[in-house]
Amino acid sequence: MNLGRYIAQKTVWYLVALVAAVGLNFLLPRLVPGNPVDVIVSNLSRGGSVTSEQQKQVYESYVQEFGLDQSLWAQFLTYLGKVFTGDLGTSFAYYPASVNDLVGQALPWSIAVQLPAILIGWILGNVVGAIAAFRGGNWDRSVFTSSLFLSAMPYYCLSILLLYGFAVVAGIFPVGGAYSLGLTPEFSLSFIWDAVSYYWLPFLSLVVVFIGGQAVGMRSMAIYELGGDYVNYARAMGIRDNKITQYIFRNAMLPQITGLALAIGTLVGGALITELVFSYPGVGTLLFNAISANDYPVIQAVTLIITVAVLVANFAVEIVYGIVDPRIRAAKSGEK
Amino acid sequence: MSTTNTPSGTASSPSRSGILARAENIRCVYGGGEEDFTAVDGVSIELGEGEILGLAGESGCGKTTLGNALAMIATPPLYVLSGTLEIDGETIDLSTLQPSDLKRHRPYRGRTVSMLPQGAMNSISPTLRISSLVRDVMRAHDPKITKDEALDLARERLKMLDMPVRVLDSYAHQLSGGMKQRMITVISTLQNPRLLIADEPTSALDVSSQRMLVEMLLEMVQQGIMSGVVFVTHDLPVLSQVSDKLAIMNAGSIVESGPTRQLVENAQHPYTRKLLSSVLDPSQETRRRGVARRSTTTEEVGTP
Repeated sequence: MNLGRYIAQKTVWYLVALVAAVGLNFLLPRLVPGNPVDVIVSNLSRGGSVTSEQQKQVYESYVQEFGLDQSLWAQFLTYLGKVFTGDLGTSFAYYPASVNDLVGQALPWSIAVQLPAILIGWILGNVVGAIAAFRGGNWDRSVFTSSLFLSAMPYYCLSILLLYGFAVVAGIFPVGGAYSLGLTPEFSLSFIWDAVSYYWLPFLSLVVVFIGGQAVGMRSMAIYELGGDYVNYARAMGIRDNKITQYIFRNAMLPQITGLALAIGTLVGGALITELVFSYPGVGTLLFNAISANDYPVIQAVTLIITVAVLVANFAVEIVYGIVDPRIRAAKSGEK
Repeated sequence: MSTTNTPSGTASSPSRSGILARAENIRCVYGGGEEDFTAVDGVSIELGEGEILGLAGESGCGKTTLGNALAMIATPPLYVLSGTLEIDGETIDLSTLQPSDLKRHRPYRGRTVSMLPQGAMNSISPTLRISSLVRDVMRAHDPKITKDEALDLARERLKMLDMPVRVLDSYAHQLSGGMKQRMITVISTLQNPRLLIADEPTSALDVSSQRMLVEMLLEMVQQGIMSGVVFVTHDLPVLSQVSDKLAIMNAGSIVESGPTRQLVENAQHPYTRKLLSSVLDPSQETRRRGVARRSTTTEEVGTP
């Protein structure tokens, strides 16, 4: 029952995972064929006014500035030092813009879509699944069928369908972007009202699929728990149905909490594509553009943020799991 | 307790004390459709104050189903088509045909009739402390009782039964099988039920734990914690030690009943005699007979 020991063990494991993730995060973009400076130089020389000598000078200057003339190990150490001081570097593609600024502009949009989608989707999905299990009959059949259909649908498919139905055909919502042209992002009522109309479609495309997946899982678990000996015993003792429902819900939640940890990774990945479909200016769009331009610093920054977000979410879920289920806490903390 | 056999399988016999409970014409089916399986077919029983009625029979004869009907916890696919339980001057209709019937019976469960279940090992939610279950059981019948008051009662009961009070702070996985079973017994009797249905409470326990549980139940009856017990089991040796009266069930009906000693020593019904003769005798004589039989069989078949 030693919760402190359980949390300490989990912290160590997640730190190891973080170090491994940072290493891979550095290495993977460099395994992609091509040199980012080639892209920058070729963009510069498109007009034909730059001579080959000037191209060479620009090339050497960029290579030196970005440290690409150093060994891979030296580049890694430089990268590590900068990461731990919060400096994500300078963008290759948007030179001389800092990666911190680029990510700082994109991240709020992604968080605004994904965080509510995860929380609302998880809560609603579990409640709908539990109600379907308890009520049974036609309610259960219709909820199960529709949830199964939605959970099997990829995020981008629903995004395209919603975009076509509600934006292109019905014209209820704007087709793409995050706010109307001519506006500048600010904390004013008029801007937020305008942004909300752009927000609904990306949000719905994520949350609806997530609700489906969670409802299917919760329904199965609740049906299984309904037949448990502890339910029959509680009933035999005259305990009220709402209290028994709490017992069932708590036990059925355990696999759902694990499911949440796994789903967060999928949802973050799905959200990146959703942003592209809706031209939403979040980290998905930023990452897509960075990959196209071999913009290592931006790619590394975005994947690092996603990795840290997934690790933190999973860590939080593991802690909650340990609090909810005393058996897990006992087993993981080595309690005898 | 009184016994008379009727065509529908009723059992009654002269009571040595006042009548505690009388259940009549209990009929249970599994299914609810056209191809129902009748599990209990018009059974009636009577139980005197302070008596333990042993309900025996082979697996699948309807013992547990009858216990569930008496405890009013029948849920689909089990339906109680008919039956009444007369206890404390009140007649309770046991039939459960609609989900609302289960709700109608809730005030009686745990207090008038309580259950010591067959699957007591898993009867506590794994994420629930014993103390929380105690509180919920007490609040089910007395919503105003505080947690401390409920736990004080449980502590008092545990001390009375020489059990450690600290088990209240435990989760189910932290208790041994025997301790879990005894704890469930304590919880089942917290409300001082008039009638306890003990459904195979010793079947998953080793012999020493079985003995402790049986002694605990006997002590509880003697102390008046509950007024009567229906002890359901296929373990005839245990029943012959515990019960005042035996009822033998076969294919959903009670085929014979009577005082335990009388029935064990002078069974009338062929099924009862067969059931009693099926009990393994652990003596060396039995072992020798078994070896001799096997040897004979080998001789008949021939050795390779």
